[in-house]
Amino acid sequence: MEKSQGTVVNAQDAFCHAREMAVIQAASQGDKYAYHQLYEQHVGRVYALCYRLTGERAMAEDATQEVFIQLWRKLSNYNGQSKFSTWLHSVTANVTVSYIRKQRGWLKRMFQVDESLAEQPAELSADTVDLESYIVRLPERARMVFVLHAIEGYRHEDIAVMLGMATGSSKAQFHRAKQLLKEWMGYEDN
Amino acid sequence: MKTTKQNVSFEQHLQQQIHKLPNERMPERDLWRGVELGLEASESGSKPVGTVRSSWFAIAASIAFLVSVSWLGVNQLATEKGLDGNALVQSLSSQHEAQKQALLVQYDGQAALTENWQQQLSELDAAAEAIKSALAQDPNNTALLRMLQNVYQQQITLIERVHAPKWQQI
Repeated sequence: MEKSQGTVVNAQDAFCHAREMAVIQAASQGDKYAYHQLYEQHVGRVYALCYRLTGERAMAEDATQEVFIQLWRKLSNYNGQSKFSTWLHSVTANVTVSYIRKQRGWLKRMFQVDESLAEQPAELSADTVDLESYIVRLPERARMVFVLHAIEGYRHEDIAVMLGMATGSSKAQFHRAKQLLKEWMGYEDN
Repeated sequence: MKTTKQNVSFEQHLQQQIHKLPNERMPERDLWRGVELGLEASESGSKPVGTVRSSWFAIAASIAFLVSVSWLGVNQLATEKGLDGNALVQSLSSQHEAQKQALLVQYDGQAALTENWQQQLSELDAAAEAIKSALAQDPNNTALLRMLQNVYQQQITLIERVHAPKWQQI
């Protein structure tokens, strides 16, 4: 019985995968209707990652649009060896990081805004907000590193390349993010 | 000891919170229209115009840089003087029109590298109009404003490239 259930599930997975591959192939050949289907299917995941990385609704919306504009040209690079959602996540992270760097001016963010935000005391109560609310309040570099490492599972070595920083800086920013979260969540510092 | 306990419980709490994070979050407005316009704009500008020397790319890059600087200036102006999206579109469009006309006058009578460059220019005009229509509905959409600026830049680059002197052609 269990075996037959497993077979049904596998068949369903295979069908979904085949259908998704057909939509991707059509979109990569210029079918905008198929591309719209892909957009509808994945916009929630793409926007969620953009929102966490940018920390702002308006910028996340712009970055999401940028991801789907660039994805149109990159679709033919998808070879089907990994899950499409995994590949799209990687495209989203890369496009969004470079979008943030382009839009805000890396040096300006690094030397002015980033540090000033870190000095701000937490105004939110640990009992009333979720982790998402804290993440978007983190200083930019600490936030990007935290999202990419703790949530998306990137290695510090890869994050360092993506963000143009040393591996040690990525680790330091991750530590900084955790310290701030710890403080904001009401835990005592050691 | 107490600190260690606290650390453990923070790490556990953090991991629990991370697992609870939703995989999806829907944007508050429909982003598809902007994506569609972006695709149209990039398709209109993707036609090859002819091969040029790298020095010409350097000139184009310089122009792009100047336009970017002026665009940043526009952003600054908008912030300082509280200009809204409509005023920005008008300002950007009039500046671009003046620059475009000046170039067209400068190259008037000079042979172009491709025959259909005016058709490409018209297609970019149509893309700009479509973006401006969308901006009329959503004047403060920064993605649309950037698309408009990008289309204008493509027009300038197109005019410059098709009128490159013979010695700059490969």
